[in-house]
Amino acid sequence: MIRLQDVSYVRLGTADLEGSTRFATEYLGLEVSERSKDGIYFKSDEREHTLFYFEGDPRDHVAAFEVGSREDLEDAARELEALGHAVHGGTAAEAESRKVKDFIAFNDPSGNRIELVWRPAYSGQRYHGLRDAGITGFSHIGLCSTNPARDELFWTRVCNARVSDRIGEAPLLRIDEVHHTIALFPSPTKGIQHINHQVESGDDVMRSFNFLNERQVRMVFGPGRHPTSSARFLYFEGPDGMVFEYSSGVKSIADELLYREHQYPFDPKGFCKWGAKPNIPEFQK
Amino acid sequence: MIAIEQLRYVRLGTPDLAAATDFAQRILGLQIVDKTPDQVFFRSDYRDHTLVYARADKPSCAVALEVRDLETLDAAEKALAAAGYAATRGTAEAAERRKVKHFLSFADRSGNVFELVVRPLQSGWRYFPARDAGILGLEDIALRSTANGAEEALWTKVFNGRVSDWVGEAAYIRFDDAHHRLAFHPSSRGGPLAIEYAVEDVDLLMQNSYFLRAMQVRIVDGPGRRPSSNQLFLTFAGPDGVLFSYVAEGAKIADEEKHRPRQFAKNRRSFCAWGSDCEIPELQG
Repeated sequence: MIRLQDVSYVRLGTADLEGSTRFATEYLGLEVSERSKDGIYFKSDEREHTLFYFEGDPRDHVAAFEVGSREDLEDAARELEALGHAVHGGTAAEAESRKVKDFIAFNDPSGNRIELVWRPAYSGQRYHGLRDAGITGFSHIGLCSTNPARDELFWTRVCNARVSDRIGEAPLLRIDEVHHTIALFPSPTKGIQHINHQVESGDDVMRSFNFLNERQVRMVFGPGRHPTSSARFLYFEGPDGMVFEYSSGVKSIADELLYREHQYPFDPKGFCKWGAKPNIPEFQK
Repeated sequence: MIAIEQLRYVRLGTPDLAAATDFAQRILGLQIVDKTPDQVFFRSDYRDHTLVYARADKPSCAVALEVRDLETLDAAEKALAAAGYAATRGTAEAAERRKVKHFLSFADRSGNVFELVVRPLQSGWRYFPARDAGILGLEDIALRSTANGAEEALWTKVFNGRVSDWVGEAAYIRFDDAHHRLAFHPSSRGGPLAIEYAVEDVDLLMQNSYFLRAMQVRIVDGPGRRPSSNQLFLTFAGPDGVLFSYVAEGAKIADEEKHRPRQFAKNRRSFCAWGSDCEIPELQG
């Protein structure tokens, strides 16, 4: 079993690196931690970086998860290869570019590029965004899945994820006490479906709603509240059509033995208990 | 000093009783408790009614506050006369129309009409509306003022009101542990600014916000949060140019000794900590 400890970062290709950087800093509220010849690193919390934009194909997405030890990394590589996944062992240069000690890369069953990283760099300096968005950190990702039932098995049987709730066929998966760190949404293609940052309070969600609305950022869902995780949320569109989410107040699952997942309907009511309707293809029938 | 027991009801005159009744019941979410050819009474809590629409040639508004007994009412009449306010004793018939034992009415310097009432009706039957708006009760009234502080003096010197906070010259006045029951906003005219009903929590406030939008009700302020009272608010247009609000999570002032009124700057940010849009000139700052 591959023991995922946390989601570490996402790497996104973009046709307009400067435009994407402007969005990530001035609108989303992240901090540039480093500009290199390969791309731009952004931090959102105590980690050295949680988002990396590079000049390239906007469909090129990578999601990285942290594992606990080099043995875990080696075991994971063996297990994935035994299951028929082509595993790429990261070179020293690639690892340095990711600010990790070592990593492997592979595709999940839908074709999403996943990296397992060991010893990702933490930062001595705290995050200080360009605007006061109240961000407390990069928290979870939505992944596109061409077959959610199959991919649920991959993440829960091959990896250590547990189903916290389902919306239709879309499972919300946890790897620690946070309600979900990975969510799989049905889609005809692969890709990262949304990127979530937690903010301090519901007030921050609403402040950002007004701030972004004034700047004509396209709102795609919310403000609202998820009946599943009880988090208040706002989804909006960033560069290259990527959906970003702010949320606050996500449920914690303290008791693994007593907790039971629930089935929610795949309609607006399953996604929002305030009455907001999603304008996101993967959240619609 | 005359003690105010509590805020009781608002009496609104309307040329179109049918439309006003439809609004109060279907949109606002109050319960009709009594209907006569020229008056409709609405319940929001354990008070028999907190809103009355009465047939009238032109729109009018009176805010009713309860005093303990007839002695206090007599004392109020004298105190008002001494302060230069002409108060009129209500006839027995007028009192019956209001479902109170005794009352007197007077206008403040801005022309806002108040009724002081003795023994208003209470209900043993709980509020049960047709629509689940989550209303907890009539919370406070915002009024317009042309009198440059005369209202503040009236309610804090003749009556036992205390100023909780100021935003510019706008004064929030409390009579009990709620941050305010009356608010006076400087304006070019007198009259009601908003009649505010408390709802259970942020979920209900936001659910109502989506409901109102679906019903194509004009939202004029919010959803937002007031830095002074910490109330979440949502203000929308009702019949005859009168605004209504839902509010939630307002601060309680439990310790009278310790609370000192705070002066907030006269700008929009003092009226909303979320940066919401506002169409109300008095709340632009």
